[in-house]
Amino acid sequence: MTFLQPVVLIALPVAALPVIIHLIHLYRRRQIKWAAMIFLRAAQQMNKGLSRLRQILILTLRVLAVAAIILVAGRPLAGGWLGLTGGAPDTVLILLDRSASMEQKDMATGVSKREAGVRNLAKAINDTTGGHSHVVLIDSALEKPLALDRADALLDVPQTGATDTAADIPGLLQAALDYITTNKTGRTDVWLLSDLQQSDWEQGSGRWPALRNAFASLQGVRFHLLCYSQGADGDLGVTVNHVTRRETESGAELLLDLRITRRIKPGEHPDPIDVPVRFVVNGISTVAKLTVKESQLVLQGYTIPIDKGTRRGWGRVELPADAFPANNVFHFVFDDPPVLRSVIVSDDPAESAPLQAALEATADPSRKYVATTLGVAHAAEIPWAETALIVWHAPLPKPGEAIARQLQEHAAAGRDVIFLPPEAPDGTELFGLHWENWKTAPAAVQWWRNDAGLLANTRDGKALPVGTLEMTRYCTVGGEGTPLARMSGDETVLMRAEGDETGGGAYFLGVLPGSGSSSMARDGVVMFAMLQRALNEGAGTLGKARQGFAAALALGPDPSLWHQAEAGAEPIIPPELPLRAGVVASGDRLIALNRPPGEDVTQTVPVAALNDLFAGLDFRVVTGTLEDTRSLTNEVWRTFLLCMAAAILGEALLCLPPRRSKMPGGEKIAAAAAPWGEKEAA
Amino acid sequence: MAEKKRYFLEPAVLGRLIALPLQARQAMLGNVSGKHRSPIRGSSLEFDQYRKYVPGDDTRRLDWRTWGRSDRFYIKQFEADTNLRLCLLMDTSGSMDFGTEGATRFDYARKLAGSLGYFAAEQGDAVGLWSLATKRVEIPARRGPAHLGQVLDQLGELKPAGGTTLIEALHEAAEKVRQRALVVIFSDFFVAPAELKSAFQHLRFRKHDVAAFHLLDQQELDFDFDRPARFLDMEGGETMLADPSLIARNYREAVRRYIAEMEEVIRTTGVDYHRVRLQENYEGALARFLLARIQNHPRR
Repeated sequence: MTFLQPVVLIALPVAALPVIIHLIHLYRRRQIKWAAMIFLRAAQQMNKGLSRLRQILILTLRVLAVAAIILVAGRPLAGGWLGLTGGAPDTVLILLDRSASMEQKDMATGVSKREAGVRNLAKAINDTTGGHSHVVLIDSALEKPLALDRADALLDVPQTGATDTAADIPGLLQAALDYITTNKTGRTDVWLLSDLQQSDWEQGSGRWPALRNAFASLQGVRFHLLCYSQGADGDLGVTVNHVTRRETESGAELLLDLRITRRIKPGEHPDPIDVPVRFVVNGISTVAKLTVKESQLVLQGYTIPIDKGTRRGWGRVELPADAFPANNVFHFVFDDPPVLRSVIVSDDPAESAPLQAALEATADPSRKYVATTLGVAHAAEIPWAETALIVWHAPLPKPGEAIARQLQEHAAAGRDVIFLPPEAPDGTELFGLHWENWKTAPAAVQWWRNDAGLLANTRDGKALPVGTLEMTRYCTVGGEGTPLARMSGDETVLMRAEGDETGGGAYFLGVLPGSGSSSMARDGVVMFAMLQRALNEGAGTLGKARQGFAAALALGPDPSLWHQAEAGAEPIIPPELPLRAGVVASGDRLIALNRPPGEDVTQTVPVAALNDLFAGLDFRVVTGTLEDTRSLTNEVWRTFLLCMAAAILGEALLCLPPRRSKMPGGEKIAAAAAPWGEKEAA
Repeated sequence: MAEKKRYFLEPAVLGRLIALPLQARQAMLGNVSGKHRSPIRGSSLEFDQYRKYVPGDDTRRLDWRTWGRSDRFYIKQFEADTNLRLCLLMDTSGSMDFGTEGATRFDYARKLAGSLGYFAAEQGDAVGLWSLATKRVEIPARRGPAHLGQVLDQLGELKPAGGTTLIEALHEAAEKVRQRALVVIFSDFFVAPAELKSAFQHLRFRKHDVAAFHLLDQQELDFDFDRPARFLDMEGGETMLADPSLIARNYREAVRRYIAEMEEVIRTTGVDYHRVRLQENYEGALARFLLARIQNHPRR
C-alpha cells in the first residue's frame, strides 16, 4: 500500500487509543460490595469464551475504525497489481516490449498497447514511488539501461517509441538481471510491459530456468507484469516473400510473391472481403482490389509493370488502416540478384568434393551458383565481400589472428560460416564454441531442431531425414550456443553460435560428409538442404539491394551512414532507422527493413503459463485492455471509509445492551424467588 | 443500655403478631408442660385414643363406661403438652452485611430472629442462639425472661464478617442440640445446594423441626446494573470485573438454576423454607411463617 501523504501515518499508533482507554476504564471502575458472588462466578464461567471474544472484537473494531481514519488521511493508493506493494522500492526497473505487435491500437482512441501501457506505468510509478525511487528503463529494441529522472519522462524519451522490431523477453530479463547485479539496486520492482506474444517470449527457451534461478537468488526483487494480450480480430496483414525483376518483350515487370493474412477466430468462417491493396514502386503507386476469402490470400508472381530502364529500386505493399498498422505495410527492394558464391576451405578433397557439388547445384534457375575450394594455406584468398557461405574444414584459427577476425566480421556482416571438425581438435575457441573429441562408434542423431534453423522442416511441414543418417565417427561441439542437433547422451553435433543478430551465423557441424564418417554425402538430402539454406541465409546480405528485419544492428554499428530512400517519407532520426520498417539507402546500397515474421504470430502466452515462467519468484500479473482507460492506481480512501463505517457499525451492534425489560426470566426469577405464601396467593 | 441492644425489636409489630402462636410442626420433647404436643401420652384434657389394658397400667386410667358396655378393659389415653426449644441459627458471614447501613440482610434477620425469640418466650418456650460463623456464639435454649434478655442482647451485638462456614456450622449445631427443637436458620444460603442438603438432612435426622429463612435482595436476583463494575466479594476480598451488559443473562440463568436446586433440596428434606426478599416488610414474612405453622399443625 502506498500513500500520497505518508507523513500522516506517523499517527498510526493513535489507533491503539481505544485499547488504552479500555485499560484506563478497567482500573477506574466503581467498586461494588457484592454478596452473591456464587452467581457472578457462575455467570462469568458461562460467559467466559463469548464475552472475551466479544470484548476483543469490540476493541478490534474500534482500533480498526481509528486506523481507517488515519489511513484515509494518508490518502492511500492502490489498484490491481500495485496493491500491497509495501512502499517505494529503491529502484524501479521498467522493461518495455517495443515489438511491432505492441502497436496494435484501439480504433476508437488511436492509442496503442505500448502507449497505453507506458502512460499507465508512468502515472502508476509516479503515484506510488513519489519520485523517491531510481527509475531505469530497458527497452526491448536496444536492451540498454536508461536512467530516468522521474517516471513522467517515460512519455518523452525516444526509447519508449514505436518500433517494428521483435522483442526478446528472456533477453530483456537478462539485461535487467545484469543491471541489478552490476549496480546493486537494492529493493527493486521490475515492471514488465508486454503483449505476451509467443514469439517474443520463447517459452521453451532454455534461458528461462537460468533466469528464474538467478532472480530467485536475489533479495527484494519483485515483478509486476502488465499484459495487453488482447487480439485484433479481423486484422489484415501483408508480407512479400519474394521480389524478382523480369524483362518482357514490351518492357519489364516485378514479380511479387505476396501473402495477405486475415486474423479470424478459430472455427470462424467469415465472408470474403475485397481489400484495396496499394503497390508503390519507386514512389509510383497503383491500387488493386483483391478478394480475401478465408484466413489468407496467397499470390505467387503478382506482376507490377515497371519501366524497362528501371533495374533497381524500392517499393512497398500497403493495406488499408486497421487496428494493427504495423503489419499493413511491407517494404521491398529489387536489383539484379547477386551470385550465390561459396568457398570451401579444406585440404581434404574427399570431404570437399561432395560439399562443392551440393553448393554448385542450381536450386534456383534464376540465380547463379559458384563454389570454390581453397586449401588452408590459401584461406586468405577468400573473396570476403562476395562470398555468402564459407565452409571451413581446417583447424580453428587462434583468436586474434587475422583470419579469425575476418571470419568474425564475415559472420557479423550477415553471412554464414560452417565449421567442420579437423582431424586433431586443439581446444581453440571461436565464436564461443570449440571442438571437443572425436568419437568413433555407429551412431544416429537423436534430436534436431525442426522448427527453425538449418534442419527445419520443409515448407510443406515434412521433416528432413536427419534421423536416418548413418554416422561412424563424429566430433562433439563444446561451448555456449544454440544446439540444433544432438546425438544420444546430449552430445551436440550441430550448434549455432550466439550473437548473430544480422541474420548470418556461424555453425559448428561435428560430422564430415565423406563416406569414412557418415552417410551425409551418400544420402545427400540433409546435406543439400542444410548447405543451400546456409547459402541463402548468407546471400541475404550480398548484393546492393537486400531485405532485412528491423533490429538494432540491422544497419550495422553506425546507422548514421544510412538515410531514408523515399524523399517524402515521415522523417526518422538516424538511431531509430534500423528499428523502423522502411527502405533505407547508403550510397548505392538499398535495404528494405520490415517487421520480423514472428510479429505476425497471433498466439500469445497464456496468463496461466506465466506462473510457470516466473515460478518461485515474487510476481503479480495484471491484464489490461486497450478499452480500459482507468489508471493502474486509484485513491482508495473510499474503501477505507467504508471499512471504518463497517467497523463502527459492527462495534455498535456488539455494544448493544440486552433488552432490559425482557431479561431472560427476569420476572420469572422474581416469581421464583417469591416466598411460598406469595406464590400460593398468586 | 439493654434497650439500645434490642433496638431491632419493634413493639408495635410484636403487639400485632403476639396473638399468633409459634407452633411446632412435630411433637416436641419438652421438660415442662407447655403448648406443644409431646410424643409422650400425658394427662391433658385432649383425648387421644383407646388401647387395651395390659397388666401394670394405671388403673385410674381405665374407662369404666366402656367396661360396662363391652365387659372389656380399655385404657383411655390423653395427649401430653410440653414446651419447645427454639434454636435461632444466625448466619454471620460477611455476605449477611449486604444492603444499606441499618437495612442489611443481617438487620433483617435480626428482626425476624428477635421477634420469634420474643414470641417463643412469651408462650413459655425455651430460646437459644447460635451464630454460624468462624467466631461462634452458642447460647443453649432455656426458658425465662432473663435468658431471653441474654439472647436478645447477644443478638444485638452480633456483627456479620468473614467467610462462610455455614455447612460445617449446621452440622455442628445438629450434633450439639441434643433434644428435639425448632431450629430456625437465617441465612442467604450462598453455598452449593447439594452441600446444604446434607446439612438439612443431618438436622432432620436428629428429629429437629427445621425452618429456614432464605434472605435475598431483589438486586441479587435481577443483577440490574448499567455499567461495568468491579465486584468485591464481601466474604473474602476477592474482586471480579464484570460487565453487566455481557453477563446479566447468564447471571439470571445461574440464579434460576440455584433456586431450582434449592427447591429440590427443600422438597427432599422437608425443611420449612421461606424465601424472603429484603424489600418486603419483615412483619409480613413473620406473619406468613406463623400462619403457615398453624395450618400445618401436626395431628398425631
